[in-house]
Amino acid sequence: MSVVDDEDATLRERLADEPVPALRVLAVVAVLVAVEFGALANLVMSLPWDAVGAALPGFLQGAAATIAGVGDGLAGLPTLLSRSVIDNAGYQLPSGEWVGTFMGLSPAAAWLLRVALIYAYGFVWLLVGWWSYLVYRDNYRHADWAPVDDMVGRFRNHSWGLFGLAIIFAFVVLAVFAPALGPTTVDANIADPYLHSIEYYSEETGGVEEIYVGDANGESQSRGQGGENVGPMQYDQYDRFHPFGTLPSGKDLFTFMAAGARVSLFIGVASLVLAGGAAVVFALATAYYKGLVDLGIVIASDSIQALPQLLVIMLASFVLSGTWLANLYNGGVVLALLFGLTGWPGLWRAVRGPALQVSEREWIDAAKSFGQRPSVTMRKHMLPYVVGYLLIYASLTLGGVIIGVAGLSFLGLGINAPTPEWGRAVSAGQPYVATPSWHISLLPGILIVIVVTGFNALGDGIRDAIDPQSDVETGQQDQTAAAGGGA
Amino acid sequence: MVADSSRSDAGTAAEPADDRLLEVENLQTVFHTERETIRAVDGISFGIAEGETLGLVGESGSGKSVTARSIMGLVDSPGELLPDSSIRFDGRELTGLSETQYESVRGGGVAMVFQDPLSTLNPVYTVGNQIEEALSLHRGLSGLEATEKAIELLEDVGIPDAARRVSEYPHEFSGGMRQRAVIAMALACDPDLLICDEPTTALDVTIQAQILELLADLQEEHGLSILFITHDMGVIAEVCDRVAVMYAGEVVEQAPVVELFENPRHPYTRGLLRSIPSTQRGADRLETIEGEVPTPNAPATDCRFAPRCPEAFDACREVHPEPVPVATETADADADHTAACLLYPEDETREQAVDRHAIEDAPPGAGAVDSGGESR
Amino acid sequence: MSRWSYFARRVLLMIPIVFFGTTITFVILRMGPIDPAAAVIGASGDTEAYTSVRRSLGLDQPLWLQYVDYLRDLFTLQFGYSWVVNRGRPVWELIGVYAPRTIWLGFWSVMLPLFVGLPLGFYAGLNPNTLSDYVASFGGIVWRAMPNFWLAVIFVAVLTQSEQLFGFQWESWLVETNIVTPPELQRLWVPENFFGAFKAILPAALVLGSASMGNEMRIGRTAVLETKNENYVETARAKGVPGRKIVYKHVFRNALIPLVPIITGEAFLLLGGSVLVETVFSINGLGYLFYAATINADLPLVGSLMFFFILLSVGINIVQDLLYTLIDPRVGYGGEGA
Repeated sequence: MSVVDDEDATLRERLADEPVPALRVLAVVAVLVAVEFGALANLVMSLPWDAVGAALPGFLQGAAATIAGVGDGLAGLPTLLSRSVIDNAGYQLPSGEWVGTFMGLSPAAAWLLRVALIYAYGFVWLLVGWWSYLVYRDNYRHADWAPVDDMVGRFRNHSWGLFGLAIIFAFVVLAVFAPALGPTTVDANIADPYLHSIEYYSEETGGVEEIYVGDANGESQSRGQGGENVGPMQYDQYDRFHPFGTLPSGKDLFTFMAAGARVSLFIGVASLVLAGGAAVVFALATAYYKGLVDLGIVIASDSIQALPQLLVIMLASFVLSGTWLANLYNGGVVLALLFGLTGWPGLWRAVRGPALQVSEREWIDAAKSFGQRPSVTMRKHMLPYVVGYLLIYASLTLGGVIIGVAGLSFLGLGINAPTPEWGRAVSAGQPYVATPSWHISLLPGILIVIVVTGFNALGDGIRDAIDPQSDVETGQQDQTAAAGGGA
Repeated sequence: MVADSSRSDAGTAAEPADDRLLEVENLQTVFHTERETIRAVDGISFGIAEGETLGLVGESGSGKSVTARSIMGLVDSPGELLPDSSIRFDGRELTGLSETQYESVRGGGVAMVFQDPLSTLNPVYTVGNQIEEALSLHRGLSGLEATEKAIELLEDVGIPDAARRVSEYPHEFSGGMRQRAVIAMALACDPDLLICDEPTTALDVTIQAQILELLADLQEEHGLSILFITHDMGVIAEVCDRVAVMYAGEVVEQAPVVELFENPRHPYTRGLLRSIPSTQRGADRLETIEGEVPTPNAPATDCRFAPRCPEAFDACREVHPEPVPVATETADADADHTAACLLYPEDETREQAVDRHAIEDAPPGAGAVDSGGESR
Repeated sequence: MSRWSYFARRVLLMIPIVFFGTTITFVILRMGPIDPAAAVIGASGDTEAYTSVRRSLGLDQPLWLQYVDYLRDLFTLQFGYSWVVNRGRPVWELIGVYAPRTIWLGFWSVMLPLFVGLPLGFYAGLNPNTLSDYVASFGGIVWRAMPNFWLAVIFVAVLTQSEQLFGFQWESWLVETNIVTPPELQRLWVPENFFGAFKAILPAALVLGSASMGNEMRIGRTAVLETKNENYVETARAKGVPGRKIVYKHVFRNALIPLVPIITGEAFLLLGGSVLVETVFSINGLGYLFYAATINADLPLVGSLMFFFILLSVGINIVQDLLYTLIDPRVGYGGEGA
């Protein structure tokens, strides 16, 4: 967004001139990546590559499979902050001693330690990100001052926006490090409990026994009355620690929530990339060409908005169920596509105003007058102005998408069972809200409220940073954005 | 023209002038922010006689508009008038009035015309509706009677086809017409004093002249006093009887209009006059005053103009100047001309003058110093 | 361009929107991977039944002819029959049965925010940076972030256990009502019936209106805050208009302008939300009907319902433009306020 032209070559030159600060940043990043390489590879592999793979022609699929194999191999590499290094699974001997856990700590303490370390690691990334921005700004940016500096400055003083940022940071870390954060894994505890087993100390036999996770889950159910409840921060009878308690099926709720966060975040981001991309392209095109192009897109977007979003997504995901598309990422890809296709009109409406405004500026006329190509004018002179506004609504819409996806899975649509999704936990806990097993419905709901509030706060913060002249007009679009189709 | 021409001690307005319609004395309006207290208006005094037009001139940020709003009682939290301030209108003290008490003053006694005629009219009501609102408040008119009076007022301010336009919305009026409508609305209140806050700044030059002419006609017709706020010296020359020059919350010079233009004493006033294009005929380029008006956030201990002043000397940074009479021999004896500058009085040595300012400034409320000068 | 010709132009623009919206539905239903006829007869796989269903749905026609027929039927309001959910019943009849409940629910979930959220927001805007402002603002933000379905679950649980939790029984309080049944909407003009129906719908309406309430609070607050600082408000004060009248005449009406699209936009969002809320509260309304039709693959019913929803949405849009035109004289004037 710098005022002065930042051609690649000149940036490269500036880097070559003064490589030390950049190398320093690079070194820190390399160390950070190295200690968690396995986890990052794991994250990369968890993305729905099948979608890409299926679209490839036959001869490439072999190659893709090889790459996938390598990727899976990398994902298996040891990492510093993983379950295997700081293990929270173990059993307690009658003497009170813990066996199998990290340094003999109690599972709760081991788990908390791991969570704390992972969040600290995430926070270091945040700091490095901020630091590299400073390094870029002070050493390599051509302009001493750019409008973005003021925006960053305003945002730093915006406590409500920072609050949102903190929550979103926590949420993103939860999603990204989901496999390492859960006290157990989705695989072992939720997807295939009868393919995994755990050890526990049996008082009956007086020795260490082994039991299938599935069988153990049967004994750790939360079904309200009758003593069948494993609440938040409690152990079950197999010495397994459940930070959020268990589901009615006896599965671990925190593991479920962490994996669900990943699904929500993927759908949210993917759908927004789609919708945001379309919105920006259309907004720039309508602002540049106006007239018929504008009218056409107005009608198209109004037509899509005339359909109740949630109902259309419900219908379309039902119609598409059973096709190959619906199985990608357990239905996540379809949902992302549908939220994207139905969501762009809202985003487009939000950035159309700013785009039109900027298109009225003299510098656009100037660019036109000396014969710059439209695509270049739009990209260089209009896009930077529009992107900020897009961020505002993207943040607000993300909250809405999370609510919408949860609402669909509450109805049993969208994400295929048993893949974790927050809405399904609410639905599973529905009969137990007013019982000792209240946590099943309440905790996921409260998490949704917090995350959505966080996204709204972040959006407010960005808006005030970009456009301190506030906001009744821009406020209009919020409602649809943050509403998730009314879920 | 000048009401208290019999007085020679006009310097610090120590004694109230009973025959003045508006008497502002030591007005201090401050705004509290988180970090500091901004002294937007910092102890200014002036008066307006019946039928007189006082011009308040200064750069943006000098406190002109805040002065107007203080008189209108429109200063809201975080702003407030400091306790020593006094605003007397028609013999009645306005500071300390409750909001309800003030409502009878606003409009009825003092009416105001704002700078931007588009935003001063409520877009969702017809022009007639907004004039009739004032009529019902201050003249007890309603219904058809009010409409007729509104049409009459619109005709008075020179709006053609008033009977039709009375039921139109502000956005259907042109800029100049809107300002006429705003003036009609102010007149509907039947005020004695009209405060015009840069009423022509947002208008085209030709329209400006028409509006100024209209104001002059109306003043004659209704016997209005006018407080005319502007940053435009040209406008001042055209409409005012007397002028007060404001700088950084203070009145730095006050004089009848002809005297001020012919014989500006304060360096700031001279700078202002030199930056008017029309008085510079023949010059290659306009002079400008470098720098900006500072934001006063503490009681003054120096001359606030010193950093920009071409004639500043050391004492200017240590002594706060007080208004002193500066009428010259050539001018009318009762010219009532004061300036707040350490260069004056001219008939004293620089040290004497500086000492005089230092003493006058020292005790709060001091100012009853005779124009003798030997009071060391 | 005058206000009313602007309004007329907006209404005219609705025609292509209905047309395209319907086309999107057609594409999803007929060009998607699901064969409506197969979905109707289910897994039985009887070839004869299949052919006859195909014929009566017109699926043996070429696609363009199907499209023309589809549009013609809908635009002449011939909504056809349900095939699975309530076999053989005309769709209009189903709408007649299900719609009143949704309308009753929707009406109150628009009204409650309007008469609770909006005044709270205006109040907060008039008294900014006071404790009540913070409470209202923060409450609005959190209230708005709550997912409807979750809030509904909590409401149902709390109300059914109200005896144990609060020591009073919601169901028998004042009027006997159930919590998770459709409201009785017969003879509403009898005060007792009216109140019963109101009480029965109240929890669901509060849930469905929650997002709107939070929004209207928030935007109402900013709108008042901004309007309060407008020059015309200062002008009104300068001419001596009393404080109370300034608020009613000069602040509220202007602050309402940016709220119009919010209120109508939310009315439309309620349609989507009604599916979840009606499911949790077992209110057999249109949302529930659509949901049932979808999961039972009653595609003809789905298509007709969707068209009905499009008409509703367009209707709401027209109401919005009408309100705009009435409330803001600048509408259609040189592009302002449009």
